[in-house]
Amino acid sequence: MTRDEAQQRFVALLQERFGVEEIPDDNYPLIDAKHHFELARVLREEFGYRIYSFVVASHYLEKVDAKNDNAVIDIEHYEVATGIRCVGAPAHLASWRVRVELDQSIPTLFPLFAGADWQEREQYDLVGVRFDEHPDLRRLMMPEDWEGHPLRKDYAIETACPPWR
Amino acid sequence: MHSVTGVDPHLDIETYDPSADLMVLNLGPQHPSTHGVFRVKLYLDGEIIIKAVPYAGYLHRGVEKLCEELTFVQIIPIVDKNDYVSPMMNEQAIAMACEAMLGIEVPPRALYLRTIFAELQRLASHLLWLGTFGMDLGGALGGGATLFMYCFRERETILGLFEEVTGCRFHYNTHAVGGNRHDITPKFSCDTKTTLEVIEKRLEEYVQIFSSNRIYRARTQGIGVLDGDLANSLGITGPLARASGVDHDLRRDAPYHIYGELDVKVFTESAGDCFARTLVRLNEMYESIRIVREIIDSVPEGPILGMKPGKSPGHIKIDASQGYSCIESPRGELGTYIIGGGKSRGASAYRLKIRSPSLHAASCIPYLFPGHTVSDAVAILGTLDPIMGEVDR
Repeated sequence: MTRDEAQQRFVALLQERFGVEEIPDDNYPLIDAKHHFELARVLREEFGYRIYSFVVASHYLEKVDAKNDNAVIDIEHYEVATGIRCVGAPAHLASWRVRVELDQSIPTLFPLFAGADWQEREQYDLVGVRFDEHPDLRRLMMPEDWEGHPLRKDYAIETACPPWR
Repeated sequence: MHSVTGVDPHLDIETYDPSADLMVLNLGPQHPSTHGVFRVKLYLDGEIIIKAVPYAGYLHRGVEKLCEELTFVQIIPIVDKNDYVSPMMNEQAIAMACEAMLGIEVPPRALYLRTIFAELQRLASHLLWLGTFGMDLGGALGGGATLFMYCFRERETILGLFEEVTGCRFHYNTHAVGGNRHDITPKFSCDTKTTLEVIEKRLEEYVQIFSSNRIYRARTQGIGVLDGDLANSLGITGPLARASGVDHDLRRDAPYHIYGELDVKVFTESAGDCFARTLVRLNEMYESIRIVREIIDSVPEGPILGMKPGKSPGHIKIDASQGYSCIESPRGELGTYIIGGGKSRGASAYRLKIRSPSLHAASCIPYLFPGHTVSDAVAILGTLDPIMGEVDR
């Protein structure tokens, strides 16, 4: 199987079983948070995607339209991108994104992939997104008593102490 | 529990046999065998480790945050310092990610140069691993620092080659988005062939040290067995996974540079122990030598930069798209995830994540250490070859 065929199969899976309508050209497909764990499980157990590749969380601030009386376009939220890979040729990478609201959390992939343990800890530490039922959600990089999450967009880097301004 | 060995990395020490003679021992943060600054808290029952809790972050420099502040041109010399044993790979990973997102085509000559640099760097990196591993095992490999000095001598010749091209022994800043900065001279090809001949001959001697040394075998065979399924599930790639029977190498399976035209041999071992990891790395060194020899004389003429050089550091702009691209570094899959559309209208990344193979490798410590003695723990840590600059970033 070539990588293009593997990608087509992945897209077909998303459209048929996970209700994704549109696959953007320059971005990874956005799926509903409730399908996150199930998609990873199906890919691992039915399609043979065994290698846990990455998880990337990012933080987005509230977006307002300055021309239109500061009307709110999008509220503050997180986005978590996950990638898993199949072993051997064509080494296709299946990746997707999930939108997570500030007060929500996302299920951990630890029961499927042992690597999620440290990777999700790192994202929690640096970005602040929380993972449900993670066995050991401690900080990984920063000291245990550190305040704030450095990769958030509201975390200023000019000062070395709170309130980070 | 994921492992076939039945090791629980989150074992509750309170529930352990209350009559046991428990002791807590901190391996690190400044233990020589950690090759950097890394702490593993060991819970010992007598002399046997029952739980290992690693603490990373002593070398955390906030590289990912820094990459959000600097432009794409400026971050290339910064990421050099991540995996400080193979800086060429870090540069290539970042440059390739930007090229993939901008759709820039790299000229063939630059692709050949990148392949040559990557393979020489892999050789240098594995040589450094071999030397430091020999020191970790103490007397088992020719006594103290003997092998360490030999390997550094060989590695120095490769760094000399890089110096000839880039002007630096280390932290080269030779890759740019769209190609390379420094071209090779005809002398480089000649020097490289001489160097490889010497290294190949001396590698034979080092293999002799390994294969005929009973102490070495006793300290590595059957020690730290990593199961192939667990390796995949932890995201471990590269020589570590291949020593556990995972037949996966991005150079062959998802070719980049000019690897698609080459027939890259992938070496696997089934044992998954420290000895298997040694064998895989040694074979990879020979394969790197073969690849460089194969292509060093067929480097095509032509430009080495695929785009017009910019005048300002902010001339490369990536819009708000996302992308991931990866290469096979000496430690496994080194990837870069970029979310574009950051500061100065996209001249820097909104979020940049470096997927470091060393962090995944270090995450198997809680699975591998239990059941072994402290001296075995040092041997296991040595063969995992985690580079702390890359673990912590």
